[in-house]
Amino acid sequence: MKKGQINALITIVLISLIILILTVADFCTKDRLFSETENRMLAQKPEFTMERLFKGEYTGEYETYVTDQFVARDRWIAIKTGLDIVMQKKEIGGVYLGADGYLIEQHLPQEYTEEKIQKKLKLLNRLVTKYGAKVMLVPTADNILTDKLPAFSPYFDQKAFLERVKKEVGAGNYIDIYATLSEHSEEEIYYRTDHHWTTLGANYGYIAWAQAMGVEPYPYKDMTSVTDEFLGTLQSKINMPWKKDSITYFRETAQWPVTIIYDMEKEADTLYEEKYLSTKNKYAYFLDDNHALIEITTGNNTGKTLFVIKDSYANCFVPMLLPHYDKICVLDLRYYNGRLRWLMNQYGKPGEMDVLVLYNCIHFLDEFQYME
Amino acid sequence: MVFSSVLFLFRFLPIFMICYFVLPKRMKNFILFFGSLIFYAWGEPIYVLLMLFSTFVDYFNGRMIEKFRGKKAATGFLIASVIINLSVLCFFKYADFLVQTFRSVTGLSVPLMKLPLPIGISFYTFQTMSYTIDVYRGEAKVQKNLLDFGVFVTMFPQLIAGPIVKYVDVEESLHDRKVSLEAVSSGMQRFCIGMAKKVLLANNIGELWSRISAMDFGGISALTAWLGIVAFAFQIYFDFSGYSDMAIGLGEMMGFRFPENFNYPYISASVTEFWRRWHISLGSWFREYVYIPMGGNRKGLPRQLFNILIVWMLTGIWHGAGWNFLFWGLWFAFFLSMEKLFLGKVLQKAGRAVGIVYDTLVVLAGWVFFSLESPAQILGYFRAMFGNAGPVDDQGLFLGREYLFLLMAAVVAATPLAGRLVKKLKESQATPCRVVYCVGEKLIPMSLLLLSIAGIVDASYNPFLYFRF
Repeated sequence: MKKGQINALITIVLISLIILILTVADFCTKDRLFSETENRMLAQKPEFTMERLFKGEYTGEYETYVTDQFVARDRWIAIKTGLDIVMQKKEIGGVYLGADGYLIEQHLPQEYTEEKIQKKLKLLNRLVTKYGAKVMLVPTADNILTDKLPAFSPYFDQKAFLERVKKEVGAGNYIDIYATLSEHSEEEIYYRTDHHWTTLGANYGYIAWAQAMGVEPYPYKDMTSVTDEFLGTLQSKINMPWKKDSITYFRETAQWPVTIIYDMEKEADTLYEEKYLSTKNKYAYFLDDNHALIEITTGNNTGKTLFVIKDSYANCFVPMLLPHYDKICVLDLRYYNGRLRWLMNQYGKPGEMDVLVLYNCIHFLDEFQYME
Repeated sequence: MVFSSVLFLFRFLPIFMICYFVLPKRMKNFILFFGSLIFYAWGEPIYVLLMLFSTFVDYFNGRMIEKFRGKKAATGFLIASVIINLSVLCFFKYADFLVQTFRSVTGLSVPLMKLPLPIGISFYTFQTMSYTIDVYRGEAKVQKNLLDFGVFVTMFPQLIAGPIVKYVDVEESLHDRKVSLEAVSSGMQRFCIGMAKKVLLANNIGELWSRISAMDFGGISALTAWLGIVAFAFQIYFDFSGYSDMAIGLGEMMGFRFPENFNYPYISASVTEFWRRWHISLGSWFREYVYIPMGGNRKGLPRQLFNILIVWMLTGIWHGAGWNFLFWGLWFAFFLSMEKLFLGKVLQKAGRAVGIVYDTLVVLAGWVFFSLESPAQILGYFRAMFGNAGPVDDQGLFLGREYLFLLMAAVVAATPLAGRLVKKLKESQATPCRVVYCVGEKLIPMSLLLLSIAGIVDASYNPFLYFRF
């Protein structure tokens, strides 16, 4: 064999090996049902029938199946992300790679149109006029950690949006969180790998809430970490190894006796569910993940009831409210299809109880929706 | 099936290649034909019959032209072939466009057919037409073996996106082709490079264009608009030339030599040069079967300009059934004519750099017509390019920074620099150069392949632009 031929043969063998080894490995690995990193069910082997083949259904489904179940799928995606980072990309899959290891969710201005904003504000205002609801919309990390955003990053301006909210609902019903969080933007008020605020962030929110309500905030001090292994939703989106977050809680909030009823059936005596700390979804530690309705009864004798309409930002916030109420009802509209008025009447007539609307601005604009 | 998919790389390709190389020579055309039908039918379980119909019709026409050579009947069969091919193409590709136009002119409400476009129809109808025409002219021998002819039409490497292979290009290799280790190895390298162009460059830079094209053009700065159209220019080039590279590479592995389709079009210094470097197999098809038969440049300048007009209108409309494509063709016809009249000489005097700038501007403006469908959008985009909403904004700066390195990589890949460097290394006698070349020619295609696999697995974003044509 001539030298050129040997050279060619090596190339042929190497490239063929890549294809063949991966093909064989792909055939040998078991199909997965669910991808934790992608948080979705993976496509399964489609059923073959002649009819489905001729309709063109089978081939498409088979292709999705092969791609979803490809060997070491998550690693390949990490390689692609790595390549993007090498190419100096600062935004991957809707996540900004911010300074100091902060992953910050992207919310583009053009996604929040005037029409959308008006629709949501109208809905909100009905709750305010009828129940005197207090409105607490929390800005997301992109608006507060602006120093950490990559240069020129576009973001939906929530400060301007909140100004409008304040005007719409009236200053008396509006709880300003933006200013408080901005003051503390150098502290760990948002997770690095997740889109939620931290317990510390929520505590600043709590103090602002107490001031607006004219009550003395409880002096929480004993902030304790329950895990240092938290990789949140934003890390899942980029699927790269990342520095892990800690999840903390205030121990004082666990010292008071409480009775909790989840969705009118499941009972518990703690606001914190440790079983989630060993899963991927560690933020579910607070209030047992997401439920349509949570009823919390405390042993205080305040004579007061609170009705919270909320998203998941409230989950680490609600425990701090315990000293102020006898009963706290927490409603997540995403999981409730009934009439809101009917449900609220079960707990108190307008004026008899406090009502709090607590969302982050983005979830509010995307998901705040109810039937009266 | 597209090449840049898990399905092709890890199901079809290994199974097909093993069968192809294991089976004896006389079985190779059979397995290639059969494999190609599966490849095509995977996405088009019904339209595969249309392709087989087209194959059979032109096989028959070829035989008849040969049989009645010199008689009037031969011409009849040639005309039959051209009419059938063009009717099939028109019916599936242009019927709704014509109906729509008819509706808007007359105001009558004729129903649309809403047929999906059969993949690759613009390519294989052109290929079979080239066959019958060449047989009629006596430039190609008639093919008596139906299987060999079937292989020519349906061969999966170039079936769905070209290059448009003329029958005479592969006549010999259809029944007798030799494969050397060197050819297989260089085919594999070419395939990997093509894959990387498509997956790593075209798809990623395409993201930039799809973001910008989804914006409201009234509110984007000139910077953003220019970034967008440059991104589109790179996307379509790397998408299409990457696909051609993969086709040529696959052909080489099996002993076919397909014509080159691109020769660094973006370094052209005139529109005339651009069209000699862009989609060469389509350009030479129109030259050979339309432009020259119409008299080319042999019947005086006015006739030549008229011929250019016709050919580029056809070229435009070949790319898609829409007025914007027709206009895109006319846009080039205008500049080609100007260059024939006087501009060509002016450009030559002005120097290559001026020529490149002029050609780039003409081509980029062309891509605006090409990529946007409605006149309102096109106009809005041009306004944005001229700074209607300001020269620079944060959006543009962010995207520019975000894609800077990718754009730089694209610029380098669109010029012959890397190719020249490789050639220098290859021809060098110095030991270090030889070692670098020897290791690089293996490592680089391998890494490109692996990174492309990562890109393919990562991407739900895998649209192939040339499917529309």
